[in-house]
Amino acid sequence: MAKSNAKRKNKSEQNKADNKKGFKEKFTELLELPKELVLDRPKLTMIGRNDMMIENYKTVLEYGSGRLRVKTGSGILRITGDSLMIREISSEDIIISGTIHTLEFTDAG
Amino acid sequence: MKLLLFRVWNYLRGYVIIIVEGFFIEKFINICARRNIFLWDIRMQNERLVTMRTTIKGFKKMRPAARKAGCKVRLLKKTGLPFVFNRYRRRKAFFAGAVLFIVLINLLASFVWSIEITGNKELQTEFIEDALSRHGIKAGAFKYRIDTDSAVDKMMMEIGKLAWISINLKGTKVRVEVRERRDLPQIVPRHVPCDIIAQKDGIITQIVAKAGMEAVKEGDTVKKGQVLISGSIPVKGSDKSRLVHAMGTVNARTWYEEEVPVILTKTERIRTGKVIRDSSLILFSWKLNIVRSKNRFKDYTSEESRKKLTIGDNLVFPVEWETISYYEEKTVEANINEEDAKKKAADEAYEKALEQVPEGAIVAGENVVFIQDNDVLTARVTLECIEDIGMSRQIGGN
Repeated sequence: MAKSNAKRKNKSEQNKADNKKGFKEKFTELLELPKELVLDRPKLTMIGRNDMMIENYKTVLEYGSGRLRVKTGSGILRITGDSLMIREISSEDIIISGTIHTLEFTDAG
Repeated sequence: MKLLLFRVWNYLRGYVIIIVEGFFIEKFINICARRNIFLWDIRMQNERLVTMRTTIKGFKKMRPAARKAGCKVRLLKKTGLPFVFNRYRRRKAFFAGAVLFIVLINLLASFVWSIEITGNKELQTEFIEDALSRHGIKAGAFKYRIDTDSAVDKMMMEIGKLAWISINLKGTKVRVEVRERRDLPQIVPRHVPCDIIAQKDGIITQIVAKAGMEAVKEGDTVKKGQVLISGSIPVKGSDKSRLVHAMGTVNARTWYEEEVPVILTKTERIRTGKVIRDSSLILFSWKLNIVRSKNRFKDYTSEESRKKLTIGDNLVFPVEWETISYYEEKTVEANINEEDAKKKAADEAYEKALEQVPEGAIVAGENVVFIQDNDVLTARVTLECIEDIGMSRQIGGN
């Protein structure tokens, strides 16, 4: 472990969130509650590769016609594509249209 | 579908297309989203230039957000109904006109403007119209005051000839459909004594009496009203006679004749092709001439056509467009081949005669003669028929 302490700590926290299911998550699964609402996770809906809806996002980090980065509860979602357009945006959801090439989640920070 | 609804809704509410310029457009978008400023159709034009759409309300709240994000917001286009209204806000007459139009349409649509009567054969249309107007159904009547059910009841009571009537009010049109009752044939009840008399003139070809006494023989010429089978049978050795209900068939030869003059010259009227049209607008019964020409042809026929202003089939307004076309004509005379003319007249006479022949009669023969009377040649067609001419008539009655 040559990595710095801070980074290790960060990583372990991330692992904890990913692998060990917390009480909150177990509880929501037990009661079959919508996870995106209770656990602050994004809900992605795609129709083909041209339309996409991201519900429960946090902020738009970057917007360009070839790339869109959105901060969500599950990390940063990076969308690349051609002539990307935000068809609708409100405080809860974004609707994107255009040709989508990739979707990628990266950890925040 | 959802998208279409969304667009219509946005058009009704009005929206603006704006250009946002700056380095931190994402920041601007985030602030807008957080402040409930609804944005859509965000399109990147180049690195620092983005077009988007927002509501009127959103646009008003946008200034502080733009300042915070360090972006410049420019208005590109205003779209939607509120802006259209805004443009016409000062035109009071326009709005008054629009309101007046709606009020007028509604007002006019609440009256009956036309009545359509169908299904009557013997009853005159005018007679039915009169009866309807007595119960409040006439052109110009207020629609909501008409009680079609009670009108139906009253019409049925009043006009004995009606078998059925339906009155439908649709739009500004009243549709009246009637069925006529057929008169009951006069039947003398079987226990009532009767004679059988002749309905019309003829020569008896066959007489079969089932009850009663034959009053005529085969080959006799009878006149209308003559007793054919008598219901009163004299009792032997007494002055009195026994009365019965006479029955039987009496077939007779009857004739139907029709004459049609033979026309040897044919006068034809030919349109020269010149036409003048007058147009006028009719409101209620008030006529406004729009186009009125002075010069008329010497010899012309006119055709009148009226167009009512209607919306669909049922909404008829009291506005009509009348066009009168005057066609110039000239008369051309031509001789017709005599044979053709004769044949035509004979055919016509035959058709006419055939119309007179009652149902159940058999056409036994036909005869065509041409009669020259002074200058007029006439075709006479005689149809010889065999039919039952018997008709019951109550003894002592009538």
